Amino acid sequence: MHSRIIQANLHLSKPSVTIGEHMFAKRTFAHSDREQSNYMSIESESPQPLDVHGGVTRRSVLQGAAALSASMLPFSVARASTTIRWWSTQSSPEQFAAYKYQIKTFEAAHPGVKVLFERTSDEGYPMQLAAAFAGGSMPNLITHLPSFAVANYWDAGLLLPFDDVIKAVGVDDFNSGANRIYQIDADTHSAATLGNTAANMLWVRSDLLEKAGIDRPPSTWDELRTACQKMHGRGIYGAALPYAKNSATTLIIIGFIHQAGGQILSADLDVAIDSDEAVNALEFYHSMREFCPVGATNYSWGEILSAFTSGATATSLYSGRVLINVNNQNPRIAEHVTCRTYPTIAPDVKPWTYNDFPSVFIPAGAGDLEITKKFAAWLYRSDGYIRQIHAAPGHVLPVLKSVTTSPQYRDNEIIRRYQPEIERMDSAARAGHNLGWETPLHKTNVKAGAIINSGILAEMVQRVVLNDEAPRAVLAKTAKRIEAIMKS
Amino acid sequence: MAMRKKGSHKILYSIFGWTVVLLISFPLLWMILTSLKPQSELFLIPPSLLPSEITFEHYVRLIHETPFLTYLKNSIILAVGTTVVVVVIATLGAHSLVRFSYPGRKSLAVLVLYTYLLPSVVLIIPLYLLMVKVGLSNTLVSLIIAYTTFALPFALWLLRSFMAAIPADLEAAAMIDGATRMQAFFDVILPQAIPGIISTALFTAILAWNEYLFAMVLINNDEVRPLTTGIMSMLVSSFNIEWSLLMAASVMMSVPLIIVFAFLQKYLTRGFGAGAIKG
Amino acid sequence: MIVTRKRLSLDAKYSILGAILIAPTILVFCTIIVYPLIAAIYLSLFSIYTPTMEGQWVGFDNYAQLLASGEFWRSLLNNIIWTAGTLSLQLVFGILVALMLHQNMLFRSLARSLILFPYFLSTVVAVLIWRWMFNDLYGVLNHLLMWAGILDMPVDWLGSMPNAMVSLIFIGAWKYFPFVVIVVLARLQSIPESLYEAATMDGAGRFARFIDITLPQLKDVLIVIILLRTIWDFKEFDLIYLLTGGGPIISTQTLPLMVYREAFALNQMGNASAVAVLMMLIMLVFMTLYLRKTED
Repeated sequence: MHSRIIQANLHLSKPSVTIGEHMFAKRTFAHSDREQSNYMSIESESPQPLDVHGGVTRRSVLQGAAALSASMLPFSVARASTTIRWWSTQSSPEQFAAYKYQIKTFEAAHPGVKVLFERTSDEGYPMQLAAAFAGGSMPNLITHLPSFAVANYWDAGLLLPFDDVIKAVGVDDFNSGANRIYQIDADTHSAATLGNTAANMLWVRSDLLEKAGIDRPPSTWDELRTACQKMHGRGIYGAALPYAKNSATTLIIIGFIHQAGGQILSADLDVAIDSDEAVNALEFYHSMREFCPVGATNYSWGEILSAFTSGATATSLYSGRVLINVNNQNPRIAEHVTCRTYPTIAPDVKPWTYNDFPSVFIPAGAGDLEITKKFAAWLYRSDGYIRQIHAAPGHVLPVLKSVTTSPQYRDNEIIRRYQPEIERMDSAARAGHNLGWETPLHKTNVKAGAIINSGILAEMVQRVVLNDEAPRAVLAKTAKRIEAIMKS
Repeated sequence: MAMRKKGSHKILYSIFGWTVVLLISFPLLWMILTSLKPQSELFLIPPSLLPSEITFEHYVRLIHETPFLTYLKNSIILAVGTTVVVVVIATLGAHSLVRFSYPGRKSLAVLVLYTYLLPSVVLIIPLYLLMVKVGLSNTLVSLIIAYTTFALPFALWLLRSFMAAIPADLEAAAMIDGATRMQAFFDVILPQAIPGIISTALFTAILAWNEYLFAMVLINNDEVRPLTTGIMSMLVSSFNIEWSLLMAASVMMSVPLIIVFAFLQKYLTRGFGAGAIKG
Repeated sequence: MIVTRKRLSLDAKYSILGAILIAPTILVFCTIIVYPLIAAIYLSLFSIYTPTMEGQWVGFDNYAQLLASGEFWRSLLNNIIWTAGTLSLQLVFGILVALMLHQNMLFRSLARSLILFPYFLSTVVAVLIWRWMFNDLYGVLNHLLMWAGILDMPVDWLGSMPNAMVSLIFIGAWKYFPFVVIVVLARLQSIPESLYEAATMDGAGRFARFIDITLPQLKDVLIVIILLRTIWDFKEFDLIYLLTGGGPIISTQTLPLMVYREAFALNQMGNASAVAVLMMLIMLVFMTLYLRKTED
C-alpha cells in the first residue's frame, strides 16, 4: 500500500520534459503505463520551468535518443496513433449524439488521433477517479463535474492548469466572469466552465396564477407563500420542495439560507450558519411543507421535477430541464410554464442562484497534453458546442458570447419559444454560486463537496421540519459538525 | 371421478399460484406497459395502467442510438464466464469438503466465508490496484475474476449442503463396481447434485448480471462495459432520468433472462423423484 | 499388517485428491482477495484521503472515535432491525412460495422463472420502480388503495417512520426472497417420494407431513440459507441508500451506508475501513456462535 502511495507522489512531481514531437508506442486501451505516459507528451508550447540548462538536460537527451531510435524502428514508422480518453457524467442519448459529432470532426481534422468517450456518473465519479488516480490510469480529459469537486482535486494537486485551453478558445469570448470560480490566481485556472445551469429557478404555472388572481410571479417569500396558499387546493399542491435525506434537500436549503440573507460559511470560511437569517430560512422552509405533497419527505430532484411537469403542483424549483420535460411529457401545460429567480425574504436581499458550473479539466499525469488541450478547446467550437447545448436546451446555457448571440444557437424550438425564460436563466446562472464559492467575496471552499455529501444540511432540515426541533439548537449542532469537516 | 377431481384441483391451484406469481412480478408488468407508452403518458394523474397508444419508439431508440447491444453482449459474457468458472471450482471443492478427509478441512470452509464479511466498498480500490498491477484493468476478465471470488464462498457452502444430502452409499456402490473416486463422482454424484448445481448457477449468474460497484470501477471503456453501469450512467443522472428508455432497457434485460430460466427449470427438477405430485 | 498399510496409503491418496479438488478455491482466495482484505484492514489504522489514497498513521483513533459516537451504535441497531426483519420475511415467503411452486400447476416452469424476477432485476431499476409506485401523486399503489377505499389520503411510504423501515424490510424481502425459493425448491426435489407415501399410509395429514418430513429434510439447507442471507442482508447498501438515503434523519441508516459516506462523501478512507472492520468483527461473532450452535 505504501509503495502505491509513494509511487503516486513521485509520479505527480515528475516533469514532463521531452524533446521533439514524436510519440512512439501505441497506446491501446484505457490505461496508460505510468512510465510510458511521461515519454509520450509532446513538447508543450509554454516554457518548461524545470528545463534548467536551456532545454538539454541529461534526461531529455536520453529521452530524445530513445525517441530517435524508436522512430527508426520499422513498426513505429507508420502513422503512430494516439488515443485520448474523455470522461463525462452527462451522457444521455441526446448529449452523446452531440459528443459523437464533436469527436468525429476532431478526428477528421487530426488524423492519427482517436478520442475514446467513457461514461461515468454523478454517483460513480468519486470512486472511479479515486481508483484512476491511485492506479495511474487517469483519463486525459474530464467534463461536467461540479465546481466543488474540481476545487477538491486541485487542492490535492491532481489537476493541471487549464489556461492554455482558455486562451485557445479566446479569453474574451467567454462571458465575463464565466471562469471566475475556477480562477486560482492571475494566470492560473484549475478548469473552465463548459456550460451554465441555473438549478434553482422558481417555476410557476401562469394559468394557475391567473386563476388565483395574481398578476405576476412572486418575488418575495411573503408573496410566494400567499401565492402557493391561493393556488393550493382542488387537487393541486402549492409547491414541491424536498424534505428528504439527500443532496437535493441540501443544495436547496443552501439556496434558501442565502435567500434569507445568510450564508453557510463566511468569506474567510469560518462557519457562519448559526445565524438569525438561517433561522428564518428554516422556519420559512418548514412553513412551506403544508403546500407540498405528503411524500415530499422522500423527494429528490426527479420527484420535484415530475410533480411540476405532471401538473400536480403550481410551483416548483428546478433548472431549465423543466422546459424539455414539459414539452415531452405534458404538452397541455407547456404554454403555461414560466420561471424567475427564486424569491428572497425581502426586496433588498439579492437573488441567489445555484450553479454548479459544470467544468472541463485535465488531470495531471495523463499524457498527450498537447492534443488533449486541442481537443478541450475543440469542445467549444461553435458547431459542436451548439449541438451540446441543443441536447439540453435551457438546462445547459452557453458560456461563450459568440454562441449566445449566434443565430444557430437560437435555431431551436425550446430556445425560441421560451426566450424570456432562457434569458432570465442565463443571467441568473452567470451570477450563480454554490457552496464552493458562496459569494464573490468568498474564498474557494475545497470542503464543499464533503459537506454536501455528508448529508449534514439535509439532516438539519429534517430535524426542524419532521421532528419539530428548535431551529437555533439544530443550527448550533450543525455548525459544530460542519466545523469538524472543515478541520479534517 | 378421481381424475376429474385432480384436474379441477390443478386448475384451482394454478389460479391461486399464478395470482401470487403475478402479484410478485407486478413491477415487471408495469415496466413493460410503461415502455410501450409515449413519454406523455409517463406521469399521468391518476396513473393509467394501459397505454392509450402503443409505441415501440423507445426500444428502437435504445437499440439504434445507444450502445445497448454491446452492453448486453458484455453482460452475457460476464454472466456465463463467471458461472462456468464458479460452478466448476465450487462443485469440485464442495465434493472435496464433504467426501474427503484431510487436515484443516473443517476450518477451510469457515475461513473461506470469513473473508467475505467486509463490505465491498472498502475492497474496491485495493482490488482495482491489483488488477492494474496485473495488467487486467478495463477487461471483462478482471470482472470475471472479481465476481468469481465473491460468488465462490457462497457457491461452496450451498453446494456443500446439497452434496451432503446425497447418500454416501451411492458413491461406495459405484466404487464396489470398480469405479475410481473421480469416475464415481462424474457418474453418480454429479447427476444427483444437478438441482443444487443449477440453483448455484442461477444465483451466480444473477450476481454477475446485476453487480454494479465493481463494474463501475474496474471497467471504463464502453466496448467492455456491462449493462448495469452502461444503462445507469447513460440514463440516470441527478437532474434527469430517461424513464422511457430505462423501462425499455430494463424489460430487455429481464425478459430474455426469464425465458432462459424457464428452460433451466426443467433441469432443476431432474434429480430423483422429479415432478411427483406432493400431497 | 499389509491390509492396514494398503488402506492407509489409499486414505492418503484420497486426502491428496481431496486437497487437489479444493485447491482451485484456495488459489482464488490467496491470489485475489487476500491483498484487498489486508489492505482494507491496514488502511483502518490510518487517516486516508480517498482521492490520493495518502494519509498518516493514527493507530486506533478511528476505532475510538467510532465506538464513542452514538451514530455508530444507532446504525448498528438499524442494521440489526433491518437484517432480522427482512430475513424473517425472506424465509417465510421463500419457503411458502417454494412449497407452492413444488406442486403441479399449469406453466409451472414459467411461474418458477417469473418468481426470480425481483432477484435478477438490477437494484437501481428496482428502486426507481418502487419509488415510482410509492409516489404520492402519480404512484399506482396509493391510487389502488384509495380506489379500493382502504386509504383516503396517500401514504408517505418512505419519508417517515416507521413507514420507512417497514417499507425497506418489505422491499428487501421482495427483492431477495426468490433466492430462498430457488434453493428450497431444489432441495425439495431430492426428498424421496417414498417418505411421503409411507407417512400418508400411516395416516399423517398435510401439515404433519410438512412438519415431520419436509422441514427436517430442509433443515440443513435452511441453516446455510440463513447464514448466507444474513451476511448479504447485513452488508446491503444499494437498496437502502437509494430508497431512503438513511433517512428520515438516521432512522434507516445502516453501517454499510456509513462506510460509503466516510469513503466517498467525506473522503476518509481510513474511517470507512474502520467501520468495515467493525462490521466484519460483528458478523464474525455472529457466524461463530451460529455455526457452533448449528453444528450440534
